[in-house]
Amino acid sequence: MRKDEMFDTPKKKVALDVTNLDNFVYDMDHCIKCKGCYWVEHTYMPGVEFSVRCPSNLWNDFDAYGAFGKMRIGLAVQKGKLKWTDKLLEIIYADPLCGACDVGCKRNLDLEIGLSLEALRIKAVQDGAGPMPAHKKIAKNISAKHNQFGSPHENRKKWITKDVKVAEKADMVYFVGCSASYVNPEIAQATAKVLNASGRKFMVLPDEWCCGNTLYSVGMIDEARELAKRNIEAVRATGAKTLVTSCAEGYRMWKVDYPKLLNIATSDLGFNVVHLIEVADEAMKKGDLKLTKPVDARFTYHDSCGVSRLCDPWTPWSGERGWMGMVSPALKRRRGKSGLYAESRNILNAIPGAKFVEMPRKRENSFCCGAGRGTKEAFPDLASFSAKHRLDEVKSVSAEVLVSACPWCKSNFSQAVKENGDNVKVMDIAEIISAAVEL
Amino acid sequence: MSIQKQAYNALKSVVGEKYISDDPAVCEGYRSGPGGYESGLGYERVMTTIPEAVVMPKTTEEVQKVVKICNRYKVPYVPYSTGFYGPRSHCHVENELLIDLKRLNSFEIDEKHFYIVVGSGVIYSPIQQEAMNKGAYVIIGGGGAQASAIANLIGDGWSPLSHRIGLPHRRILGTELVLPDGELVKMGSLADGTDPFWGDGPGPDLRGLLRGFTGLRGCLGIVTKMAIKTLPFQPEPLVPTGIAPNTALALPEKRVKWVNFQMPSKAAQVKAMYEIGKAEIAGAVTKVPLFWRAIAKAECKEEFWEIWGKETEETIKNFFIVRVLLIGYTSEEQMQYDENVLSDIMTELGGIARPTKPSDESWIKNADSAGMWLMCGSYVSVDYIIESLSQATQHGESYADLKRKYTPPLMPDNGDPGWFQSFELGHQGYSEFLIYWDQDEDTAGVDHFYLETAKMNIKERFYTSLLGPHQPLYLTGPMYGPNYHEWLLKVKDEFDPLWVCHPPVPLAHDEFVERAEWMKPLKDWESPKKLPMPKW
Repeated sequence: MRKDEMFDTPKKKVALDVTNLDNFVYDMDHCIKCKGCYWVEHTYMPGVEFSVRCPSNLWNDFDAYGAFGKMRIGLAVQKGKLKWTDKLLEIIYADPLCGACDVGCKRNLDLEIGLSLEALRIKAVQDGAGPMPAHKKIAKNISAKHNQFGSPHENRKKWITKDVKVAEKADMVYFVGCSASYVNPEIAQATAKVLNASGRKFMVLPDEWCCGNTLYSVGMIDEARELAKRNIEAVRATGAKTLVTSCAEGYRMWKVDYPKLLNIATSDLGFNVVHLIEVADEAMKKGDLKLTKPVDARFTYHDSCGVSRLCDPWTPWSGERGWMGMVSPALKRRRGKSGLYAESRNILNAIPGAKFVEMPRKRENSFCCGAGRGTKEAFPDLASFSAKHRLDEVKSVSAEVLVSACPWCKSNFSQAVKENGDNVKVMDIAEIISAAVEL
Repeated sequence: MSIQKQAYNALKSVVGEKYISDDPAVCEGYRSGPGGYESGLGYERVMTTIPEAVVMPKTTEEVQKVVKICNRYKVPYVPYSTGFYGPRSHCHVENELLIDLKRLNSFEIDEKHFYIVVGSGVIYSPIQQEAMNKGAYVIIGGGGAQASAIANLIGDGWSPLSHRIGLPHRRILGTELVLPDGELVKMGSLADGTDPFWGDGPGPDLRGLLRGFTGLRGCLGIVTKMAIKTLPFQPEPLVPTGIAPNTALALPEKRVKWVNFQMPSKAAQVKAMYEIGKAEIAGAVTKVPLFWRAIAKAECKEEFWEIWGKETEETIKNFFIVRVLLIGYTSEEQMQYDENVLSDIMTELGGIARPTKPSDESWIKNADSAGMWLMCGSYVSVDYIIESLSQATQHGESYADLKRKYTPPLMPDNGDPGWFQSFELGHQGYSEFLIYWDQDEDTAGVDHFYLETAKMNIKERFYTSLLGPHQPLYLTGPMYGPNYHEWLLKVKDEFDPLWVCHPPVPLAHDEFVERAEWMKPLKDWESPKKLPMPKW
């Protein structure tokens, strides 16, 4: 009964291309303000406490800070009706782009909220308004020292200690990332030990550079694309078949945003991108990794955004939109279903001696720590607020240890614990696996 | 003239700098459309604008102070809880203040006496979860999981579960209302200073001012707190399952179960609803539009149209489903008894049980209204009535006939007669008619259809819910009164002599017809040359 003929609807060209905000006019235009982007999905709604999934709009209550407000603002920007101001930049950058809004919206609708937000930041940079000063500093650091902290490049491999084995040549390359290389070396070391214990031979890149996550996330697309090309070539040159990360942000960048930047599919990278969670889960299932050493802790798990709702693989798409907003050719929407929800829990439930408890907000409904995608650098107050709010949830389930799968989460939570004076230990999943392995 | 500096500063002194803004970007975030309820229609384009400033009070006292300042400085204002109800809950006039109530988010539950007390910013799904945690349940319905409970209960508030739990106005207990001039009215048992456990108070029951059938969309003050009745539920947990978008509550089948029956005829469908009500079984009894099934099955818009494209006028005409939710409120034995009675009724009427998933996606904790926008992008429930069950079905059919004339731009739905169900154990029949369109098309036909439905209801003598703030008051008032419009305007003038509270409601649709050229050919009723209200 398809009644295309009933309307003389002109078809419009459209693409999932974030470099042009025009591609997302339909999405911004069709936000219904149901606030599914803001609240935890009703099925998993735990009650009046911990009922929100949007860090930005919890930090600042005005509607403008929620995705529904930003869709309206984005339209006004696209139509040239709203001028760039400091307040407008704050609204679009005080946001960890954690993807909670995107999966929330896509439960009922087909709107590309996450991509609209990314395109809006790219537009800010294209218009000469963005990014924030703190982001420009990071860009300068990356350009000069190939890491976002401005640390000496020659220190990147300092995390490698004598008790870890790094191969000269292997099928697997471990992309360590800036945070685990410079700030959280314990995560890199634990990751290496888990890979060693699993019998997974790995190498590191001869000259690893920043993945460019912050550059892409704040809209500096040209700089990010150059890094993507350079890093992909570096991996291809090693001949490795698999790239493993221990960083959720890096995982998302390699798996989703590099292909997006280069207009290729994830499967066209030429190598497989995995997070340590996947390697460990598979090794456990095959009996290669045995968790036998008791860990005496009551712990909970924070689903880092990059290994959960943001990590569906990327496939380029362009086509037409016509009657009733239908698109052709068929478009498989990224709805956050590929998150490593089950894999992480398989591991955590296997830690001997430990008691794993879930927080009320979990998996795709997790509340972001607030650090990622340039937020902590430009809006430390928001990052601190989000982490402390999440820590309240950790305490609500009486957990002694908070485990996450991203160094940025660990750093942000650790700082919040310190500021609060909380009695909560923050660990990376690599560390807790490593602690349960008899070495 | 924009909001005076003195007024703005006075408002700031009430709520603090953090909770007031007149920044253009912040105000843009409060634009009504173009997406949303009634999206892209003439009413939204002609009658709404962005606020001049936004203020976010935290307490009833702050709301009172804000409203008093608005009266002192003649600042028009609109109360706004979650903003889901489309253009009619957004700013209508220039230089208007939007009072965002989301920070009024207090919540209390009285487990022993079965009620909760909420502020304007509290939404449905957490309330339901808190109630279920204590062995109770509640229905807010209407706008769904993410809409304000108070806003829904004073304007809507029903769902299939109203079969047993009843109509929304029965569940409004002690309530605080800030009148348009800032005076505080405490209703029900709150009026004599006790707790809010009871809805009736001394003197006249003012709850009628809040809602009547479907409320006045915020033009008679601001409800800041409300006690809502809860009722006992069964004790087994409903377990969340799946990953978005395929999530559902797994039901404990010995205590909660949906069963779908295919009935042989419309008469059998209605009779089944009556009989289930007479037998006093079930928690919900409903017939939903067939295309909702297609929404539930489809993962995307394109898939919906593929599924829906297989239906024809014939299949719709012969679709007589009855969905029944059985709840073992007191025991497994009671559940078994209800199931047996249901089986007897269906056997007698020729109902055939269809396979039904042991889960709930839409009703118990949700009212999943956001899915309504999937197919076309734009949606509104153009009317809902509460009549007898047999009358309710005729209402839907008359709409379907009128709708054909306006398709397109309305979605081709093969004459689906809408949604109807049993309320209050079959004592009432509810009919709701929903329409869908693509807001990027010429929507003048949708505006016309909307207005024509009021004329059709008058002609067919259906008691429509969408009077005052939804249709021209001078069209419906003389026909449903014969002077209900005069009384409504007297009430408005008495409580809000300056018309500062959400102007020009309840004359907004009258003004829309005056201002929208394409509506003028439809105007065949009398109205004053100048609408009797101050001009903002």
